[in-house]
This record gives sequence, C-alpha cells and structure tokens, in this order.
Amino acid sequence: MSRSTLILAVLVVVLLTGPMFIVVPMSFSTAPSLEFPPPGYWLGYYRRVFSDPNWTGPIINSFLIGLGTMVLSMLLGVPASFALARYQFRLRAAFRIIVLMPLIVPHIVMALGYYTYFGTLGLVQSMPGVILAHACLSIPVVVLTVTSALANFDRRVEQAAANLGARPLTTFRLVTFPILRPAFLVAALFAFIHSFDETVIAIFISGRDSATLPRQMYNSFQMEADPAISAASSLLLAAVLAVIGTRWAAALVKARSKPIGASS
Amino acid sequence: MALQLTDTTAPATAAPRRVPGGWTWLVRAPFILYAPAALFLAVFFLVPLGLVVWTSISEPELGLGNYAEFFASTYDLGVLARTFRTALIVTLVSLVFAYPVAYVAARKGGTIGAFLLGVVALSFWTSFLVRTYAWMVIMGARGPVVGLLVALGVEPAPQLLFTTFAATFAMAHMLVPFMVLALYAVMRRIDETHMRAAASLGARPWRAFATVYLPQSLPGVLNGATLVFITCLGFYVTPTLIGSPQDKMIAGRIGQEMEQLLEFGAASATSMILLAAALALFALYDRFFGIERMWR
Repeated sequence: MSRSTLILAVLVVVLLTGPMFIVVPMSFSTAPSLEFPPPGYWLGYYRRVFSDPNWTGPIINSFLIGLGTMVLSMLLGVPASFALARYQFRLRAAFRIIVLMPLIVPHIVMALGYYTYFGTLGLVQSMPGVILAHACLSIPVVVLTVTSALANFDRRVEQAAANLGARPLTTFRLVTFPILRPAFLVAALFAFIHSFDETVIAIFISGRDSATLPRQMYNSFQMEADPAISAASSLLLAAVLAVIGTRWAAALVKARSKPIGASS
Repeated sequence: MALQLTDTTAPATAAPRRVPGGWTWLVRAPFILYAPAALFLAVFFLVPLGLVVWTSISEPELGLGNYAEFFASTYDLGVLARTFRTALIVTLVSLVFAYPVAYVAARKGGTIGAFLLGVVALSFWTSFLVRTYAWMVIMGARGPVVGLLVALGVEPAPQLLFTTFAATFAMAHMLVPFMVLALYAVMRRIDETHMRAAASLGARPWRAFATVYLPQSLPGVLNGATLVFITCLGFYVTPTLIGSPQDKMIAGRIGQEMEQLLEFGAASATSMILLAAALALFALYDRFFGIERMWR
C-alpha cells in the first residue's frame, strides 16, 4: 500500500473527529451565544448543567428511560432471538420482518404515529410512553446482536450438558448463559444507547416533565438561548472518548505485548 | 447402583422426542419465546404505524385527497426531489471519504488499523446532536470559517449556516463512520493473498486494486450506500437545525405539517411517501442480499 493512501486515510479520520472537539472550548466560553474563538473562559455552563433543573431533570429522565428500555427490550428481544435462531415455526418469516422493521421505518414517521396513538391511550408526554416507543426501536438491535451470537453457538456443549444429566434450566444457567453473557451485555448496552441517543421521537412525545437530554439539547439549539448545551455536548463527547479510549488502549496493549511475548 | 442403571437407559428411550439441549417443551411451543415480542410490537409498533396509514386516507375526509395534493403541489414535489438529490450527494461524498479509511484499516491492521477504527468509532458513537452543534459553531455567522474569510478580505462573508449546503455537508460528515464500518465489515474478509497473487503476476498496484480488490469490496459499498441513503432520506434533526428553513427535506416537512400546520392528514400522507421510498429500497436490498446482512 502506498504511503499517500495511508496519509489520506489518517487525514480523513482527523477531519472526521477534529471538528467535534470545537464543543470543548465552547463549553468554557463566557459568550452567551455561538462565538468562536471565545471571548473569555469560565466554568459557569458546567455548573448550570449539574444544578439547573432544566438540565438535571432531562439527564435523570434519559437514564431512567434508557434503563427501562434496556430491561424491556432484553426481556422481549432475547427470547425472540432464541425463537428465530433455533426454531422453525409458522409465520417465522413474517415475524423476522416485523422485528427488523423498526430499524427501517424513519423515526419521524413513528413520531407522528405515537403522537396520535399515545394521545388516545393517555400515554402522551409520559415516561412510560417514551419507554414503550424506544423499546420498539431497541428490540431489533437486541435481536440482531443475540441471533448473531447464537449463530456461532456450538450446540454440542448443551447436548453434552444434557447427556450428563442436566435439566434444561440447569443447562441454560450453567452452560448457555455464561457463553452468551458477553453478547447479552453488548445487546443491553446497545439497547440503552439507542434510547439515550434517540432524538426525533423524544422531541415529539416526551413532554416537559419527561423530557430527555436530546430533547432538551434540541430545544436549546432552536431557541439559541442556552449555551449550557456546549457543556452537555462536551460531557457526552467525554463519555464516548472514555469508553473508546479504554477499549482502544486495551487493544494497543495487546498489539504491543504480542510480538514481545512471541520473541521471548 | 440400580438407580444409576435406569438413569442411563432412560434418555435412550426418551431420545427421539428430544431436541439437542433438551428443550422438549419448547419445540412444541417456540410460541412462548416469540409471542411476547410479537404481541408487543403489534400493539406498540404496528398499530401506531397503521394509524399513520389510516390518518393519511381519512383526515380531513376519506379518500386519497392528501396524496393527490402532495403530487399536485410543486412545493412538496420540490421537497421530495431535494431529499433524493441530497441523499444521493451525501451517499457519494461519504463513500469517497470512507473508502480509503476502511481500505487502510482492513489491509494494514495492527496499530494503524486500531487507530483508524478507534477514531471512526469515536465519531460513530458521538450523538448526532453534538456533531450538529459543532457544525453550528463552525459555520455560524461569528464562527471560525466566516472569521477567516473576513480576515482574508472576503466581503461580505457568505451565509453558511441555515443553507442546504450546510445540511448536506454536515450529514455527509455524520454518515462517514456508518459507511466506513459497512465497508470494513466486507473488506476484512477479502483474502490478502489475492492482491499478492495479482502483484506477482505482474499487475501494477492500481490495476491489482481495480481488478482484484475493488470488485470484492463492492458488496460493502452496496451495504453502506443503501444504509446511508435510507438514513439520509429520513434525517430530521440536522436538516432542521442547520439546513435552510425554506428548502426543507421530507422529514422536516412532516414535522412542520404536524407541529406548525397541524395538518395530520397531510403529514401522514407525506410520511407514507417517505416510508414507501425507504421500504422499496430495503425490499430491493433484501431480494438480492438478505436484509440481516445490512447490519452485520
């Protein structure tokens, strides 16, 4: 591979990530509106994000809705994954399409549907309403993750457990579950993030009291009134950076230690 | 001892009824496994979606009036055309930027591959809102780009924010990571020895790439392009926040019909047109490749 291709690739990823970091200096800026470079620096916006109920409320709501979505979509999605991966049943093809469809239908279309539907059910502007809507979007994520793990699952270990006299539930507890635990964790995390990040449906159906963080951020963009958005953005960026940083650091350590281990 | 003996013979007689793993009762009823999810999705996904279909043909009066209005309105047809045009541009631009990144990450591996994928992942996992906000600052009237242009003597500085250009640019930037991951998933399975074989048979690097590597990476290109194009068709947040308020894209138009104009029939009809476009593309994809591959 030529050197220029390599440089091009590095350049692209730098251009990809670089611009995002402009939110960091902005979050320390004293300017009341979008102004770069900032006229001065302070910590006021961070203080606001952690003390103003307009921000703390949505942050707490987002965590609660994310956790609720995670639990609900795991409870429904994991059994569905086993059914899809291990059994033939009537309407299986139809079921597969219905499970995957929430990934395909644009969120704005669902927002419109929930807007009228939850109105009639009395669920509009309520936290359960947002959780129910988000669970629909997270179930396919869980199912894709778990069915892909099940496709690589060697069922002979379960047969071995059964041959050794383990009852089905014991087999599941001692064999199936431990093997699939990483996939379950990833699926749960994806379900949570999917909900935590979801903006469009939250804008339309989470009211003032159950407003999520993305809704609060979206509203402060539109009003151009609350520069605390930059502090919230920086915190979200830092969270992603922390997770990726640790994973990447781990991968780097592995890559470094391997050749050393081999030569010694 | 006798008990042990009967124990070991018992499975032999029961064996024909058992499936691997011994989930006998579930074979007759995988129903128990899928029914809760099916019921849940029927009530909280299919019904609200059906409600949109129904509203589109019943509000304000029964019939296809909303659709007729959409296709008679030059404004709405303009929105539809702009949406497709923008999605196409975004797909092509993100492909051009993503291909070299995925290519190097897949072929180099090691530290450089990990670095590239790590940076792509950082961008991938950062909220669309955060990235939209960053572009709002950069393209803003008091932002660095306009500041630089003014310092260079460009007067008056062009309006960047709240234009279709801004929205297109930002969406392409946001969807590059999706494209990279779709390409990488296919490219990492391409056998490296093929390229070496091409080289040893006398192909120059470009020719080896064009005749050996590129064709094998095409499924990834198709995956990524379909995913990015469809995401872009329904993109709401970024075009609404930094795009032109007059030149809306279709998702923004739905939001406007629903929030500002309170025309739910029209909003529903517009939604159905967007949905039909997305579903048609997915159906086409499913026919040729199988839909699950999209997210693998």
